[in-house]
Amino acid sequence: MHQEEFDGLQSSACGEFESKLTLLAADELETSEAEEIQKHVQSCEGCRSALQQEVELLGLMSAERTEPDANFLASCRAGLFDALDQQEERGWLRRIAGSFLPSSWISPDPAWSAALLLIIGFSVGLFGPRLLRHTPRAVDANQIPTGTISAAQPADANIPEAEVISPISSLDVHSADVAGINVSPAGGDALPQVQVQLNAQRPMTVSGTVDNDNVKRLLIHVLQDSQRYDPDVRLDAVELLRLRNNDPEVRSALCHAVHTDHNAAVRLKAVEALDGAEPQTLVRQTLLDALVDDQNPGVRVEAINELRDLAAQGRINSDDELLKVLHERIKKDPSTYIRLQSAAVIRDLGPRQKF
Amino acid sequence: MGMSVALDGDARLAAAAKVQEEHGLVRSAQAGDRLSFEELVRRYDREVLRLALNLVHRAEDARDIYQEAFLRVYKNLHRFRFECSFYTWLYRIVTNVALDHLRRRTSRKEDQAPVPEDSEGTTRDFFDRQPEVRAASNPERNLLGQELGEHISTALNRLSPRERMVFEMKHYQGLKLRAIGDMLGTSEETVKNSLFRATRKLRASLEGMR
Repeated sequence: MHQEEFDGLQSSACGEFESKLTLLAADELETSEAEEIQKHVQSCEGCRSALQQEVELLGLMSAERTEPDANFLASCRAGLFDALDQQEERGWLRRIAGSFLPSSWISPDPAWSAALLLIIGFSVGLFGPRLLRHTPRAVDANQIPTGTISAAQPADANIPEAEVISPISSLDVHSADVAGINVSPAGGDALPQVQVQLNAQRPMTVSGTVDNDNVKRLLIHVLQDSQRYDPDVRLDAVELLRLRNNDPEVRSALCHAVHTDHNAAVRLKAVEALDGAEPQTLVRQTLLDALVDDQNPGVRVEAINELRDLAAQGRINSDDELLKVLHERIKKDPSTYIRLQSAAVIRDLGPRQKF
Repeated sequence: MGMSVALDGDARLAAAAKVQEEHGLVRSAQAGDRLSFEELVRRYDREVLRLALNLVHRAEDARDIYQEAFLRVYKNLHRFRFECSFYTWLYRIVTNVALDHLRRRTSRKEDQAPVPEDSEGTTRDFFDRQPEVRAASNPERNLLGQELGEHISTALNRLSPRERMVFEMKHYQGLKLRAIGDMLGTSEETVKNSLFRATRKLRASLEGMR
């Protein structure tokens, strides 16, 4: 498509408001200006439709976004640190060579200089790596933070021993400030090892699998107090809690995230995390709420997918409320996919329940 | 009211303390402390990788951008003069590296060539390789999702590297246009225009998909 085609594309918005609507959707207007535009939008159908299109476009684009997973991030980090090691080694060798071999030595007799360089090269090759190899970061026992909690012995050898201290049975999650979550995948079907880093006067690390109550409580806390944490941390928490989605407390926290988290990616992940959970009333209601109320099409799509899976497996029964919501979606949902899937859910429910 | 003022004051103090602490880390890293540099990397690298991944949509390319950007940061750290935040300075480097990459890709024909083939001889990109747990149980969804993905990918390819960068930074990194201008070394007005063009092109390309 050529540039002129884009330029020629007509928006339904009033000329002077078109760019303002883009800025409104991008949250780039001052409050007073935003209010003025909102007022105009309420009375102008063209601008209302154009604004709706802006919002839908953003929703559509966000549905295809991806989040780097913990393994990929860890592998990039390891690659970077290796590259830094190599750079440091090269810099060190250059400095050493420079101090032993002034350039005037090399130019008069290239053959001798080359031989000398070879000898140095061999020596450095043999002994250099031993000298330069990263020694494990020594941990001074006197500096071990006494408040550190080890909920379970970490299986990962990379986890420094200093963080494995006598367990503290209860943890005040309300005062906890989670700084980050590290996940070390375990082999086979074993649960991954989790390290939850807490900011405090004395930084603490809680380690264990998601089966550990302290770990679980901290992850739930991250979702319940979502305003305090970055979306990355909340996404990690959802991903981990998914492994225990049949635990009533976990289910409730995931449903809470679907209802209240202000980040669409987190809500989407939380809906996904409910997949496979016992579809009791709360889960079912949460999926319906997401399907009806969520502004993000990706979240609504995930909700209808799960309802369809549940219906296909005969794990939910139809009732008036469910049918009403689905029929309403068939009529009203702006997404073709959701309209089709809503009809499919009704089809799947049909043979089992007469209505 | 008094409480709110006190809270604002606390928040400001906390923010200032955070900046000071980060400046301390940068100074240590500038003095050659490798652990301080690694701590700075850990603070921001997830965001950098996310930006790269969503710009280039290929894991290996995203890894290249990530590594090249942080190596440049490491090499040029002594040039950081604390005239802006470390985050802004870091993002100037990251966006430069990513824009170079996108421009190279746009001008290279072989970029259209697919990524390595799988065992069945078909080509798959990074997104295809991501596990889709329920794809088999829901082929209809898989097909629609794939179709949508292709449309979005085509739409994004119609944006210029700069338009793509601005759209990504505004809507998915949550940055203000003024900050994006700082990072890209241009004015807020220019960034605004890039955003308008990007939005208009995407709207045109994805018409009918909603």
